Amino acid sequence: MPPKKKADFAAAFAELEKISEWFETEEVDLDEGLKKFERGLELATDCKKKLTEVENKVEEIKKKFSDLANE
Amino acid sequence: MHVLQVKDFLELINETLRLSLTQADFMVEGEISDYRVSQNKWISFDLKDEENQAILKCFATVWQIKTPLEDGMKVQVKGVPKIYERYGQFKMNVSAVELVGEGALRRAYELLKKKLEAEGLFDPSRKRSLPRFPNRIGLITSRDAAAYGDFLQILNNRWGGVRVNHAHVQVQGRDAVPSILGAFKYFNGLAKKDQPDALVLTRGGGGLEDLHAFNDEDVARAVYASSIPVVCAVGHERDESLADFVADVRASTPSNAAERIVPNRSEVVYEIEMMSGRMEDQMLSQINAHEIELDSSVRTLLHFFERKSGEVRQVVSNLLVRSDAWVSRLRERIESRTRLIKSLDPKRVLERGYSLVTSSGKVVKDVKQLDAGDKIKVQFAKGSADADVTKKYAS
Repeated sequence: MPPKKKADFAAAFAELEKISEWFETEEVDLDEGLKKFERGLELATDCKKKLTEVENKVEEIKKKFSDLANE
Repeated sequence: MHVLQVKDFLELINETLRLSLTQADFMVEGEISDYRVSQNKWISFDLKDEENQAILKCFATVWQIKTPLEDGMKVQVKGVPKIYERYGQFKMNVSAVELVGEGALRRAYELLKKKLEAEGLFDPSRKRSLPRFPNRIGLITSRDAAAYGDFLQILNNRWGGVRVNHAHVQVQGRDAVPSILGAFKYFNGLAKKDQPDALVLTRGGGGLEDLHAFNDEDVARAVYASSIPVVCAVGHERDESLADFVADVRASTPSNAAERIVPNRSEVVYEIEMMSGRMEDQMLSQINAHEIELDSSVRTLLHFFERKSGEVRQVVSNLLVRSDAWVSRLRERIESRTRLIKSLDPKRVLERGYSLVTSSGKVVKDVKQLDAGDKIKVQFAKGSADADVTKKYAS
């Protein structure tokens, strides 16, 4: 499953972690390993790219919270 | 002159008091003594004025007064005074109590802390962990507080891509408690998909009085009841608040809250590089191992073929040797057969002086085949002759 959008950094990172764990714990089969390796590098590149480009977005909630408490 | 019944008189007094005091804005200050709660509902205490040796009897319910009280506390009370007809007693019907001075606040804080702790609100086992990479954070603080700027600055330094939903609330003063409660209600009331991954409740440091909203029982319970994990950061390093103890994560300062809630970019980059590096190493060592394996396979295969081709050569040469013998045997047999066949050729017999007699094309082997007067043909080695049978002799 390729990462769709910025919000999916967590998903991409989790997939990368899983692949990395696979390499550490499994008997690596060359064919499957190559496939996973390619996917892993792709994820790593995506993740790093996202880290450089994104900034945080602050949205002010337009509500009077003291009124909300008593509703 | 009017004559009034006692009950009517007291009603008149109470009505007069109520009318004359409702507009008045004052609180009565004194020290609590003889504090009692009966049937878990009714609170009664005396408000004493040591200096002037004066006592005001007070009455309230546990639903009106949430502040923990005990004897010796200095407080200010707000309420309506009245004479209770049945006992002829003058009492203040208290609607609000405010603690006065650091000592009373400290004491009330300790009492409430003990109560909430006994109820299990601080239980470490119920604390939830935060997602490592939050997408959305609910920030509950005042936009005018230094905490707001500190938190966002550190957040931006460390990490990006987060949506911060800011609920602007009062962090001190009269509106602080209701607005903080409202913010918790708002975030927890959102549809699951719109809820932040974590809430951050924060403000800068201050005295017990400034922090009262963060030590409020209802706020502590709202933190406790939140279905979204809560990070609480109140004050400076040494400050503590009840909201801190209840929160899932207790951060020491607003900046620390940002550190606790998002990871550091450079650390994550390092981690990603470590992971890709390890994958590459594993892959290369696999390829290496396969290369070695392939090498040795090729060598084994070559060796196999060398050995096999030796064997094949041997088989072929054996075959050739054997076939030579076989062929010469065959030749001998053919020659002997040829000799035999040749020896049977009638011409060869005729050449030795024998003759062949035929009658009507048939070879005559027995005299019985002939009768006197028959014409016969005699074949010699060279040429032939016709003859007549003149006489037969039985053998």
